[in-house]
Amino acid sequence: MPAVAKDFVPVLVATGGSTRVHKAVAPRFRAGDHVLVRTMTPEHHTRLPRYARGRRGIVEQDHGVFVFPDTSAHGQGEKPQHVYSVRFTARELWGPQASERDTLRLDLWDDYLDLVV
Amino acid sequence: MSGHSHTAPPSDPELRIKALESLLVEKKLINPDAIDAIIETYETKIGPRNGARVVARAWVDPEYKARLLADGTKAIAELGFTGVQGEDMVVVENTDEVHNVVVCTLCSCYPWPTLGLPPVWYKAAPYRARVVSDPRGVLLEFGTRLSDDVEVRVWDSNAELRYLVLPQRPEGTEGWSEDRLAALVSRDSMIGTAVVPAQGAAS
Amino acid sequence: MNGVHDLGGMHGFGPINPEPNEPVFHHDWERRVFGIMIATFGGGHYNVDQFRHAIERMGPVEYLTGSYYEHWLASLETLLTEHGAITQAELDARRAQLSREAK
Repeated sequence: MPAVAKDFVPVLVATGGSTRVHKAVAPRFRAGDHVLVRTMTPEHHTRLPRYARGRRGIVEQDHGVFVFPDTSAHGQGEKPQHVYSVRFTARELWGPQASERDTLRLDLWDDYLDLVV
Repeated sequence: MSGHSHTAPPSDPELRIKALESLLVEKKLINPDAIDAIIETYETKIGPRNGARVVARAWVDPEYKARLLADGTKAIAELGFTGVQGEDMVVVENTDEVHNVVVCTLCSCYPWPTLGLPPVWYKAAPYRARVVSDPRGVLLEFGTRLSDDVEVRVWDSNAELRYLVLPQRPEGTEGWSEDRLAALVSRDSMIGTAVVPAQGAAS
Repeated sequence: MNGVHDLGGMHGFGPINPEPNEPVFHHDWERRVFGIMIATFGGGHYNVDQFRHAIERMGPVEYLTGSYYEHWLASLETLLTEHGAITQAELDARRAQLSREAK
């Protein structure tokens, strides 16, 4: 692999490398959907924190299609899918000692979620 | 999973990185002058002054603010701030009703083009562990006391979106220039662990 | 993986202790780790998910007692050897050589 040259540094820094995927992939959820975060104990890489597993939230926004880290970290391809901003109440995550008013947002991939019907 | 063994690190980091760098240079996989240029960029050109300019512009220009909240990446790029760890930006606005605070519990994701490289406390275990479950307690450690009627909204930036908090414009700054406003905006106010204090007689 | 890196909600790590007027880097070796990471990432030696996962594969004690740039250094060593840019034998030999020269 060729080494990054000094002259290329400003371009590299100013461009970065978005993991957004410009492909039409059907979203599994839309804003307003009530979702249940899947309970899982994966031995592989994941960006699903333990504290959110098995918790209920509401999809607030669809961020679009991104590379799926759980496969990308292991040379198993990009598996592009939608990422959503999901709203949780502090009490759903932390129990009754949390403030009734406070909330938390996580960005969650399609494969981390199921619809609550 | 690999069979990488969990043995203790063999020696101090200074020696380890020297060994790694010298091998990579010999194999022509890195150029030392490119490494120097990268370091210089993040020590001198990229830092929270960039984010402060974004905030000050949003405070004085309602149309810019609307663009910033609608598409953070694009509006921040208008001021020339783009690239590594800011490829997909979301700007969240503090109001009388909502106070936003940002963390990355799984590693240390942070919006580099606007805030620079993160401070040690943002990357260390105490903040990452506790701000999600006890944000009000953590904010108090930063001297920030929030009223019970304000919703604290924690953003755990676990994916590839990067978050910048748009703090509230403080009282006592009516008619101030953009430059003067930018000088008020602290790094921590754009992470959400601080607010921008009221100025002059209003404070 | 259910690693020690997944810190959200844990107790017992103590106060946050922000450092006033903190410099961008605290040691010169941190500068080199940072620059080499950006250059090898930009050079396509690994992707961001592989980089994070290699940090998560550190031993838990090493992870919790190591600083951010020590995590990066461990990840660089892991990935650059696993992906074949350098070998572990070369790295060990170079460390031993530098260690002898420093004495």
